Amino acid sequence: MKSRRNVELRLGLLAVGITGLGYVLVQLPEKSDIPADLWFFVTIFVGLYVLAHMAVLQFAPNADPSLLPLAAMLNGIGFVTISRLDPDLARTQVGWMAAGMAAFFGTLVVVRRIRTLERYRYTFLLLGLLALLLPLAPGIGKTINGARLWVGIGPINFQPGEAAKVLLVIFFAAYLVDKRELLSSGSRRLGRLVLPSVKHLGPLLLAWAVSILVMVMQKDLGSSLLFFAVFGAMLYAATERAAYLITALVLFVGGATIAHRLFDHVQDRVTTWLDPWPVAADEGFQVVQSWFAFGTGGFSGTGLGRGNPQLIPNAPTDFVFSAIGEELGLIGAVAVIAAILMFVGSGFRIALEAERPFPKLFAAGLTVIMGVQTFVIIGGVTRVIPLTGVTLPFISYGGSSLVANFVVLGLLLRISDDNARARGLVRRRTSAPTGATPS
Amino acid sequence: MNRAIGRVGTAVIALMLVLVGMLTYLQVIHADDLANDPRNVRAALKDINLPRGPIVTTDGEVVARSVPVDDGTEFDYQREYPHGNLYPQVVGYQSFVLGSTGVERTYNDHLVGRDPALRLEGIGDVFSGQEAVGTVVLSLDHQLQEIARDALGDQRGSVVALDPTTGEILAMYSNPTYDPSGLAGHDTKQINQVYKFLSALPDKPDLSRAYRERYAPGSTFKTVTASVALETGLATPETPYPEIRSLDLPLTDAELSNFGGQSCGGTLAVSFRRSCNTTFGQIGLDLAEAFVAGAAAFGIGDVPPIDLVPEAALSIGPRAGTFQDEQPQFALAGIGQGPVSTTPLQMALIAAGIANGGVIMEPHVVKEIRDADGDVVRTIPVREWKTAISPVTAQAVGAMMVSVVEDGTGTAAQISGVTVAGKTGTAQTDTGDPHAWFVAFAPAEAPTIAIAVLVEHGGSFGSEATGGRVAAPIAAAVMRAHLGR
Repeated sequence: MKSRRNVELRLGLLAVGITGLGYVLVQLPEKSDIPADLWFFVTIFVGLYVLAHMAVLQFAPNADPSLLPLAAMLNGIGFVTISRLDPDLARTQVGWMAAGMAAFFGTLVVVRRIRTLERYRYTFLLLGLLALLLPLAPGIGKTINGARLWVGIGPINFQPGEAAKVLLVIFFAAYLVDKRELLSSGSRRLGRLVLPSVKHLGPLLLAWAVSILVMVMQKDLGSSLLFFAVFGAMLYAATERAAYLITALVLFVGGATIAHRLFDHVQDRVTTWLDPWPVAADEGFQVVQSWFAFGTGGFSGTGLGRGNPQLIPNAPTDFVFSAIGEELGLIGAVAVIAAILMFVGSGFRIALEAERPFPKLFAAGLTVIMGVQTFVIIGGVTRVIPLTGVTLPFISYGGSSLVANFVVLGLLLRISDDNARARGLVRRRTSAPTGATPS
Repeated sequence: MNRAIGRVGTAVIALMLVLVGMLTYLQVIHADDLANDPRNVRAALKDINLPRGPIVTTDGEVVARSVPVDDGTEFDYQREYPHGNLYPQVVGYQSFVLGSTGVERTYNDHLVGRDPALRLEGIGDVFSGQEAVGTVVLSLDHQLQEIARDALGDQRGSVVALDPTTGEILAMYSNPTYDPSGLAGHDTKQINQVYKFLSALPDKPDLSRAYRERYAPGSTFKTVTASVALETGLATPETPYPEIRSLDLPLTDAELSNFGGQSCGGTLAVSFRRSCNTTFGQIGLDLAEAFVAGAAAFGIGDVPPIDLVPEAALSIGPRAGTFQDEQPQFALAGIGQGPVSTTPLQMALIAAGIANGGVIMEPHVVKEIRDADGDVVRTIPVREWKTAISPVTAQAVGAMMVSVVEDGTGTAAQISGVTVAGKTGTAQTDTGDPHAWFVAFAPAEAPTIAIAVLVEHGGSFGSEATGGRVAAPIAAAVMRAHLGR
């Protein structure tokens, strides 16, 4: 399995090279010489990547070789774009990258066996709900850009909701694996539909409802959408019953309709989605500017540093993909989507390779987060769906999301390493690994 | 679980493909439209720091110019509009926040010297250090523009005058108006404030009423009704129409009355001079579906191809295929009410078409482009837009319009020593006092000016207003100045 790590190293160096080159290109139009701080940033970037690579070598030597380089490349493209938009933010982002790497390292060190997580499912549920509720707490909760998603302690603001996503997916995976027999067999029939008993579905619906309610209260529509999709997909994956998919869809349509009725900000989003042109100077400004960015970029883009992506509001965060589309064109935009798709593909492969149900469902859940989150934000800025603010994984500016993404990366690598080890060691082990079997 | 996970994976891939599809639409199929949208300021931003030529009227008045500044911002030039609120609806503005409009946008490439004709001429300038920017010469006459403004006074409305033989706009003004200087500054916040303030005003000063707003044209539209009647052979100027007070509208209990409830009629020519609603309502009914094509020949339903951004609004007339069910609408269309709604520009083009032997020329506000030495490097071509009617019909309608000014409803437009052809209009509105209209051209024998004047809700005369009383004198003032009388 040593070759896997060599592949990872080489792919990773390619990603680092692309990032360094991009960073030079971004600075050239203004300064026409190689930026002075290039070596500083590139050294840090290379250093962080090599450390991450060594961590994988040490703690998950048999894991999939493509995930880390893909993450590095996405992260690098994001860093280049952010430094082009706002050099100050880029400096902060370097700090967040270091924090993300630390979280990645920590995940690999602390989570030595993925099945350990399965045991503490209710602890994770509690922690997840707590993380969701934290921004609503007086004193530390903060409202930024109209959404109460933030917790400020001292000078550092972060979004605990990003952590909640991972925590709740752990709970859902563990709970569903435990109850999937009961859930898929069902106890009552309604025509062709087989309904499970409320007793088994109850806690799930409750957790679901609470998380969505909280997010609606915090005006974080993107995360609500994400949770619906992720839990719906996990429920379907665990039970293989289309009825759950339909139920999730019905719940979603119902929830969306109610939210549309009740909340002005939801109505605004839908109106500007359907036709932003009459309000192009007001509510529709962001989306219209985003479209202009894509149109101006065209097929091959204006070139890094040669467009005007600073005209798009929130370009480093929600609209980072529009900035990429303007300067790197359709080619660059599709390359980013392809990289995310490869990441997601590897994630699903890891899920399929897993032999035990919990890591299988857990890996699938984590992967769906990445895929759906990408769809929600890129779909939002291109007007495929109404705009809801979530980050583009590994690319958008923002510490909480980056740290959470690196934790997801660590967990996927952990599961992948477990998979490879299980296959390799099947003959040597005669008994099942120790640890409580799910009740 | 694997089967379901596989399906979820397929679904995620499908979602990504949707995104790629949308991106292809935005970045390939729809890319040019988005890149060139007037609200996309990227083009303006690219040019904001380039030297930029002036815009001058045909009589040499500078209406837009760039001056070098050093105001501590990143900008090297400030665009100035010396005549403030006299030209914004034609010249537009150059704003790095809002994008550019008007001539500033349509002739942007000429102003910054990107036109190849300027490049060629400018080769010599490279050595002399002169910038190869172009001077855009408007067809508008500063004197006429000022007279239009003064004649309209503080009444809300529009004046559009053009040369019927070339389509060159000679004056185009509407009130209320605004000073574009506040939008051409270097302070984003201030520009946005000014823009918001302008957009929120109930009077809508930033609306170019002359070519972007539609109104019921009232009796001025009888020029079209009469033209179509003659052109289709439905009537001659001598065809008699009954002397009646009102016309029964088919399919309803309603009636169409003459102005002031009077009895009105006679031959077509007499009915035109007296502006009998009953006659022209009847013609609208008699024309039926033929009315639709006849109006379309005058450009109703088409966007006039004027060289401005945002583009002109199209005007609307009787709707095709509706005569069977909506006959009263055709009677109303005959007198320029009901379904008919036109811009002042469109009415000026109709007058110009009749003046020009039935042919409407493409309207344009720019005459030519000159280089820094003042040599003409490009002349805006004169092109036909519509052939509305035959020269014979144009001659006959022109003669009827002459009688309107000589001893009909438009005597206020008389100019001593010049034969003026005109038609008044007093259009009923749902929202208040009637709109006063006047369309005209002069001299009738060999027209050099065609004009449309609209005064919203009768201006200072209010409910007492008629086109003849309120709008005709304004048209006369502009035509008098143009003809040197």
